[in-house]
Amino acid sequence: MSGSRRIKIIGIGSPSGDDQAGWLVIDALANKLPLDVELIKLDRPGTLLIPLLEKADRVILIDAMQSGGLPGEIHHFVRDEWANYRTGLSSHGLGVFEALKLAQELGCLPETLDLYGMEIGAAMPGNTPSKAVISSAGKFAEKVTMCFTD
Amino acid sequence: MAEQQKTVSIHVPVLTRVEGEGALHLRIQAGRIEELKLRIYEPPRFFEKFLEGRSYHEVPDMVARICGICPVAYQITAVQTLEKLFGVVPPPWAKAMRRAMYCGEWIQSHSLHIHLLAAPDFFGYDSAIAMAKDHPEVVRRGLKLQAAGNALMDLFGARSVHPVGVKVGGFHHAPAEDQVARMREQLDEALPLAEELVRWAATIAMPQDDQAFTSVALDDARYAIEAGDISSSLGMSIAAEAFEQRFNEYQVPHSTAFFSRLDGQPYLVGPLARMNLHATQLPASIQTLMAETGLVFPSTNMFMSLAARAVEILYALGEARRLLQDYQRPSRPDVDVRPRAGVAMGCTEAPRGLLWHRYETDAEGRILSARIVPPTSQNQGRIEEDLRLSLTAFGLDHEDSALRLHCEEVIRNYDPCISCATHFLRLAVERK
Repeated sequence: MSGSRRIKIIGIGSPSGDDQAGWLVIDALANKLPLDVELIKLDRPGTLLIPLLEKADRVILIDAMQSGGLPGEIHHFVRDEWANYRTGLSSHGLGVFEALKLAQELGCLPETLDLYGMEIGAAMPGNTPSKAVISSAGKFAEKVTMCFTD
Repeated sequence: MAEQQKTVSIHVPVLTRVEGEGALHLRIQAGRIEELKLRIYEPPRFFEKFLEGRSYHEVPDMVARICGICPVAYQITAVQTLEKLFGVVPPPWAKAMRRAMYCGEWIQSHSLHIHLLAAPDFFGYDSAIAMAKDHPEVVRRGLKLQAAGNALMDLFGARSVHPVGVKVGGFHHAPAEDQVARMREQLDEALPLAEELVRWAATIAMPQDDQAFTSVALDDARYAIEAGDISSSLGMSIAAEAFEQRFNEYQVPHSTAFFSRLDGQPYLVGPLARMNLHATQLPASIQTLMAETGLVFPSTNMFMSLAARAVEILYALGEARRLLQDYQRPSRPDVDVRPRAGVAMGCTEAPRGLLWHRYETDAEGRILSARIVPPTSQNQGRIEEDLRLSLTAFGLDHEDSALRLHCEEVIRNYDPCISCATHFLRLAVERK
């Protein structure tokens, strides 16, 4: 149970093919968690992420990633290792790691923040996500659900 | 002297803290700049071609995708130009609310640039993250102001990134009165922060680098945002329809974005150009604050752009507050649109400066041709000119790392949106 803690699960994505990974997880979690767990779909991380983190005790954040792995593979990023990662060149401000590092400096990070990345394949606008990503999003949502219902 | 005779080649392969992807190549030989090229290599966007064959009502949502930072500028310029073409007059309510929404974009874009992109340069930090460690209150203030701008865009467009509210003829939807009341409260909370921001900006010890340049901005009855004629510091005043006669876009081999000249010369668009031409139109309270804090416009120091942005944030917040003061939800947020064949041109002031559109349609309102001239491509020539002048003033015998940093600071100061600038590339295919 979540109790009185403010818990948010944030899925970052876009409508482009496998890049919907984070949104698919949020869709799969709909109506399966206690009512006080807030589910959020975000279309750009950047600075929009920071105010969302500031008002939470616990956040689970899932975004798509490409590091050469198989589509659907889930990676967990430990906070101590964020400094080692870069989200690459962004045309529009901050990537996820930069936003999290900025939030850290501003003292906006929640007590617990679990950051996950799902390996994806193609992210072409207008395409539907691959079966591997849809399946992985469903399984990941089941694991999250179990954390809150056990 | 021996030091000045050396040959230095500096290549900045990727410019950081700018929107989009660009590079700079600089070659100094015998103490002189032999070659200086601002190279924009972000892939061309082809938006003007994408629009051909599309119906007029698809245009606002398509042009919004040109930029995630200034989609409202593209949408509003497009719908106003198409309304001109069709002889459609949107309701006064829609005109006022477009200006309010546009204020939101200025606020969020300027706040992002000041706090996350430009300010670290003036305090000796390599990023906003590093600056936040020592000055968290400055970055927090920036994020709150940015949030107020985003909220204004959300209010009318349902979301701040690629909003969907604007249409030819007005808006798709009018916000409810209680939503607008909450927005007014958020603006009231943001206004003192913006005043603090102006005071803070005035205290920053800017490099002193005065240069002669021509400022170009729209001129309207109020401080121009979404309407006006095109004016310059040389006394030019022309309608949007005369743009192509005075402004010339041309390609250079080293950039995928067009360069632009006014009567054959580079020129400046954007916040400093607007303040240089129209600061006297600002409300008396802002002019008093500027006098108190020692901010003087017009200015020939390009580094005053940050202060110009800060003042425009304060103005845009107050202007949006004024426009929303007596808000009443209209019975209908738009008027009927009957397309017709023709050509029209229009322009507005995007956060980064003058944005000009030209559309030709058939009788059904399908786009036959489109031309979009964004502010960053207009500023490219001025940026290269500024780099030559400011590097020479800075001293070419500095270490490579210092020269590189100075170049980056000069470029970032323009807040170039390279993603927007790479809007078109002529493509020739040779077949044998």
